[in-house]
Amino acid sequence: MNGKLTPSHLALISLVLGLLMITALFAGCTQSTTSTATPAETAAPTAAATPAATQVATPVATVATAAPTTVATTATPAPTFTPSRTNIVAFTAASLTGASPTIASSFAAAYPPDTVSFDLDGTQALKTQIENGAYADVFISASNSYTNTLNKEGYFVPNSVKTMTTNYVTVILPESNPGNIQSLSDLAKPGVKIAMAANTVPVGTATTAVLNNLANDTYSQSWKNQTISNVVTYETSEPAVATKVSLGEVDAGFVYQSTANAAPSGTYQSLSIPQKDNYLQTYTIAVVNQSQNKAVASWFEQYMLSAAGQNILAQYGFTAP
Amino acid sequence: MPAEKTPMIPKSLRPKNYRQRLTYLIAGILIAAVTLYLALPIVALFLRIPPDMFFATLHNPDVISALWLSLFTTSITMVVVILVGTPFAYYHSRYTYPGKVVVDTLIDLPLVLPPAVAGVALLMLWGRVGLLGRYLNMFGISIAFTTLAVIMAQIFVASPFYLRQAKSLFEQLDPAYEQTARTLGASSMRILAFVTLPMTAGGLVSGAVMTFGRALGEFGATIMFAGNLPGVTQTMPLAVYVGMEGDLSVGLTISVLLVIISFAIMIIVRLVQKREAGHA
Repeated sequence: MNGKLTPSHLALISLVLGLLMITALFAGCTQSTTSTATPAETAAPTAAATPAATQVATPVATVATAAPTTVATTATPAPTFTPSRTNIVAFTAASLTGASPTIASSFAAAYPPDTVSFDLDGTQALKTQIENGAYADVFISASNSYTNTLNKEGYFVPNSVKTMTTNYVTVILPESNPGNIQSLSDLAKPGVKIAMAANTVPVGTATTAVLNNLANDTYSQSWKNQTISNVVTYETSEPAVATKVSLGEVDAGFVYQSTANAAPSGTYQSLSIPQKDNYLQTYTIAVVNQSQNKAVASWFEQYMLSAAGQNILAQYGFTAP
Repeated sequence: MPAEKTPMIPKSLRPKNYRQRLTYLIAGILIAAVTLYLALPIVALFLRIPPDMFFATLHNPDVISALWLSLFTTSITMVVVILVGTPFAYYHSRYTYPGKVVVDTLIDLPLVLPPAVAGVALLMLWGRVGLLGRYLNMFGISIAFTTLAVIMAQIFVASPFYLRQAKSLFEQLDPAYEQTARTLGASSMRILAFVTLPMTAGGLVSGAVMTFGRALGEFGATIMFAGNLPGVTQTMPLAVYVGMEGDLSVGLTISVLLVIISFAIMIIVRLVQKREAGHA
C-alpha cells in the first residue's frame, strides 16, 4: 500500500478491468443476473446425526473398523462423518480466533480420529445463539457472567464448567502510531480516534472497568470522559477492534493482552495497563447439555486444561489461571 | 386451507373435471405455503414482544437515536440519489458513448455485491490510509466512522434501485413527445420540467422509495465502513444486531419498527403504481 504502481499491480488492475468487460458483455444480453440459489444455511448440528452409542470408550484407542470411509457413502441421513469419527462443535470466544487453528490441529493429532471445529464470535452473540437453540458441544466463554447465566439456565453439563485461561486488557496502536500516543494519558487528547468493543462484548465490559479503575487511581474522571468521547466505534467482537487498529483506521484500540502478544512483530505497538488497574478476564470452558458427543466434548475440555492445551494458549499470549 | 377455496368459486366457474380440481388443489397449497412462509416470521416477531414492552422500549435513548439517525441518513441518501441520479439516468439513456455497457454493469454491481464487501471496499478507498482517504487525511478530513460514511455506504448499495428504474423509464419514453415539444419551441429545461419528468414521475417516485427502503436496511457496508457508535453511526439495523446480543427488547422493538416502516414503503409504492395505472 505505498501508492506505487508495480507491474504486478498493473496486471491485477487489467485482470479486474477484463472481468468487468466480460460481465458487461453478458449484462448487455441478459438484464438481471442476480439469482444464485444459495444452499440452505449449513447447519452446525451435522455432528448430531452421529449416534452417541458408537463412540469409542477411550480417547486414544483408535478402534479402526475396516475401511470406515466407504461406509459414509451408503449411510442415509447425511452423515458427514463415519460413525467412529466425531467432529465436535466448540462455540468459542472470538478472542481465541488466532489460537483456534493450532488447537484444532493438535487436538486432532492427540485424539484421532476425533476433530473439533470452532464457531468463533463474540461471547454475547454465542450466548444468544445457544439460548435460541443453536447446537454446540462445547462452550468457551470470555466472560464469567455469561457462563454463569447459561449455567443457571441449565445449558451445561453439571460440574463441567471449568476455568480455562485468563487475559488482561491492553491498548494497541498501529505500528506507525498516527495519533502520536506515548502514554495512556494521551488517549484523552482531542482528536484521537479510539476503537473499543461494545459493552455487551466481554472485552468491552473489561475495558469499561479498566477505564473506571484508571480514572479513580491514576487519572481523572475528565480523562475518562474525554477518552470515551474519542471512541469512534463500538465493535461487536475483540478481533474487529484489532482489525481497525491494524488497518491504521484508528489511533488506538482496547484489546486483550493475548492479541498484542501473539501478533507478528511490526503489527502493533502496545501500551500496557498497570496490573492494579487492569481487569483480569476469566475464560471458562463447559460441555453443553444437549451435546450428542459428550464423551468427546469432555476429552476436548480435558485437553484444553492439560499441559498441552495450556501450552498452546501460552504460546498465543494467554495467561494461565 | 386450500379445500376452503373451492366452494367460494361460483358454480359456473367450478372445475368440471377431476384434473382441473387437482390443479386448483395444487395451486391452493402452493399459494398457502408461500404466503405462510413469508408471513409467519413477521407474525412471530410481533407475537414475541408484548405491546407494553414495545411502547416502553420506544423511549430507550438508543432506540430513539437509532431511529432518528436512520431516518436522517436515508433521507439524505434519497435526496442525493434523486438529484444526481435523475440527470445522470437521463443523459445516460439519451446518449450513446464508449464504455456505456461498462457503466451499465457498474450500476448493477452493488445489487450482486455482498454489502460487507462494499463496506470493505469503501474503507480501502476512503479510509484514512485508503487510496484517496490518505490525501484527504492530509487536510484533516476523515470520512470513515462518521455519519457521512453511513450516507456514503447507503448511496453505494441503494442507488442502483433508483438508477435502474430511472434509466429504463427514460429509455421507454417515446422521444416523439420531447421532439414535438421542441418543434413547438420549448427550451430543453422546459421540456424536462413539463414533459419528461411528469410522464415518468410515478416510476421515479417508486424507484426513490425502493432506494429509501434499501438504504434503511443497510447493515454490512455500514458496520464495516462507518463503525457502530450510538447516535453517530449506529443505524437501526446495527442497533438490532447489538440489541440481539444484549437487551433483547431493544432488538425486537427496532425490528418491529422496521417492519412497520417497510410496510409503509410498500404501500406507498403500490399507491403510486396504482395511480400511474389509472392515468394510462
